[in-house]
Amino acid sequence: MRLALAGFLAGVLSSGAASGAVTFYSDIAPVVNRNCAPCHHAGGSGPFPLVSYSDTKKHARQIAEVTRRRYMPPWLPEPGYGDFAEERRLTDAQIRVIQDWVKTGCPEGDAAAGPGPPRFPSGWELGIPDRVVQASKPYAVPASGRDVFWNFILTPAVDRTRYVRAVEIRPGNARLVHHANLLIDRSRSARIEEKEAGAGFPGMDLSIESNSFDPDSHFLFWKPGSVPEEEPPGLAWRLDPGNDLVLNVHLQPSGRSEAIQPSIGLYFTDQPPVKFPVLIQLEHDGMLDIPPGDSDFLVRDDFTLPMDVSVLAVYPHAHYLGRLMEGYATLPGGKRQWLVRVPDWDLNWQAVYRYRRPVFLPRGSVISMRFHYDNSSANPRNPNHPPKRVRGGNQSTDEMGHLWLQVLPQGATDQRTVLEEALFRHRLEKYPADFSAHFNLGGLLLAQKNAAAAIPYLRDAVRIEPDRAVARNTLGAALETEQRFDEAIEQFRAALRVQPHYDSARYNLANALARQGKMDEAIEGFRQVALDDPKDTAAREHLAVALQESGETLAAEGNFAKAAERYQELADLNPRDADLRNSLGALYARAGNLKRAIEEFQAALAIDPAHQAARRNLDLARQKLR
Amino acid sequence: MGYAAFMGVPFRPALPLSGCAWLLCAVCLGAASLPATLDGRALDPLAVTGKAHVLVFVRSDCPISNRYAPELKRIFTEYQHQAVDFWLVYADPAETPQTIAKHLQDYDFGWPALRDPGYTLVKRARATVTPEAAVFKADGRLAYHGRIDDRYVDFGKSRLAADKHDLEAAIAATLAGKPVAEPTTRAIGCYLADLE
Repeated sequence: MRLALAGFLAGVLSSGAASGAVTFYSDIAPVVNRNCAPCHHAGGSGPFPLVSYSDTKKHARQIAEVTRRRYMPPWLPEPGYGDFAEERRLTDAQIRVIQDWVKTGCPEGDAAAGPGPPRFPSGWELGIPDRVVQASKPYAVPASGRDVFWNFILTPAVDRTRYVRAVEIRPGNARLVHHANLLIDRSRSARIEEKEAGAGFPGMDLSIESNSFDPDSHFLFWKPGSVPEEEPPGLAWRLDPGNDLVLNVHLQPSGRSEAIQPSIGLYFTDQPPVKFPVLIQLEHDGMLDIPPGDSDFLVRDDFTLPMDVSVLAVYPHAHYLGRLMEGYATLPGGKRQWLVRVPDWDLNWQAVYRYRRPVFLPRGSVISMRFHYDNSSANPRNPNHPPKRVRGGNQSTDEMGHLWLQVLPQGATDQRTVLEEALFRHRLEKYPADFSAHFNLGGLLLAQKNAAAAIPYLRDAVRIEPDRAVARNTLGAALETEQRFDEAIEQFRAALRVQPHYDSARYNLANALARQGKMDEAIEGFRQVALDDPKDTAAREHLAVALQESGETLAAEGNFAKAAERYQELADLNPRDADLRNSLGALYARAGNLKRAIEEFQAALAIDPAHQAARRNLDLARQKLR
Repeated sequence: MGYAAFMGVPFRPALPLSGCAWLLCAVCLGAASLPATLDGRALDPLAVTGKAHVLVFVRSDCPISNRYAPELKRIFTEYQHQAVDFWLVYADPAETPQTIAKHLQDYDFGWPALRDPGYTLVKRARATVTPEAAVFKADGRLAYHGRIDDRYVDFGKSRLAADKHDLEAAIAATLAGKPVAEPTTRAIGCYLADLE
């Protein structure tokens, strides 16, 4: 209610303005301090400071014009279509006061009546971070030309899993930066885009390979004037050793070549998250095929919620042709709940908007996006001159239409997979020939331990892209779960033909072979994985089990020499196990190799001098040798 | 090197008028309001000989005029040997010669610069914002004033690249002794403050 009150006060002040009483300190400074100075201060993103009477007076005509036109402060959402925190939008009354002040010659008034100059911290706004990560190399923004979209890879290198309660993004040279988005790259998949390690890479949007069950559906966003905030309690996000962070930055050339080297500050907490948001993406990039000259091309998407959710934040995104953007929900009773409306999209001022209070949407609500595009020459932002056909894509000359919602599924238990399954099914309806739509849904069903349901989707994924090893491997895993070992083995082998050192597939193949009783092949498979990655304890354990099982079978068949080979390898894996040494010695004895048997019994006793069986076996072997 | 060009100005042949400016200054002694070089010497840029005089009004804290630095340098390089006099004009009285010298160096404009704290040139060029350009004929009459090009369409609305290069067209027409096809255009940028 604070803002409504501010508007009321401004209204009162503006009636004072009519009587010629508008002064800087009593009327203008409160508005400028809150709405302009957060960017317009030394070191801020604004081109000049607006923190004093003389600053403001110097730019008074400009201020009157850009506020009257609502170009400043930049705020895209239309009021009344979503109630957002940190709304930076002047009331009509405030704008009138500014016009009156400038018309009457910018009177200064009494400094004692004013709020005092605004203060901005010069260092980290949330205090000293627990970890600071800087881009390893600066990027030189050219002096002129089109805007640049650059991605910096940041490596936090945490030594154990940490939970992040806040992140402060410091773009380095704020005046060059329109916005920045921080993304988590758990599989370090973005690194392949770099021509040289640490150099970063271009691209307006980027796709990061991610586990679909990533719990960390957070918007980590920087825009001019944004103040870093702590996540609400229970909503920390996870950072694991080996994770990369990718900072996607929109840069505007300033007239001179300037280097930028962003850094971020991470603030940790010991409290793991207990609430798990999901990012719902409405989009239909497949529909984006805009003919040249079309001034109103519509892209739409509608998604039905399978559960109650509360919406925490919204992020509409398009490139240069986007014009009108609408996002709303139709509640089960038919009532429309607006989520956001941007009447005149401007890529330069895009932002994540957080709701002042979460917006509750009941199960069965239909969330809709309606984005309108102008690909005519009347759109000055059109990157093509004359206009040409534009399709969906990541580059600035391609187009995009995404409406992201950060929602918190309601319910006592973790509801993410239910929502994700609905989202994947929705994607499949839109893109029936899309590999990832099939693959993601199959993978999710398998993770829900519903292998039988997963198999048809994974089969379709493999049919669409037969050379995707990850799909073959996942299909194999589903088939193995269903005890269909022959088919599973066929898929694992196919995965390994594409990617011979694919450890997960080798491991899965060895497992399937072991379960079919093909121990020699299984052992060979586990052995390779364990050799390639000595830290893979699961492979070592499975290798040990297979060796033991195989050794026992061979011994039972009377093949003591071969059984001893198995036990020898097993003992090498566990050199401090006295029982194993004793068993190995017994096998050598039965195979007739008393000399080796004695060595092993001695080794067992060296580890455990009180080992009764080894002591007896040693005596027995020595007697036999005589 | 823009600075070298600026240093050379007082030694150009058209010095008699510089004397005239000095005379004027003597008349209104103490009023530091006439156009002047950064070292404080009064100078009327339109009195310098040349087939065309080009003024571009800028200020050091206007992001739009700063973004034009590479384009202005390009135009300068293109026409500098064709008897065109180029001047960057800083009209804001609060911008000190030191601020301006640093700005010229930082953005590498390549143009010589003048201060115009009394708005003498602002008025003659009918400038209202920065960046705004004016082209004067050899006889000092205004041939063109307005935008440099059409990259900026409005506040917050810009093309990815300019389509019409108005200033260049005005220079070319004036050099050829022809009238400028569109003698007035609307410049988008930062307002020049009202003088007190």
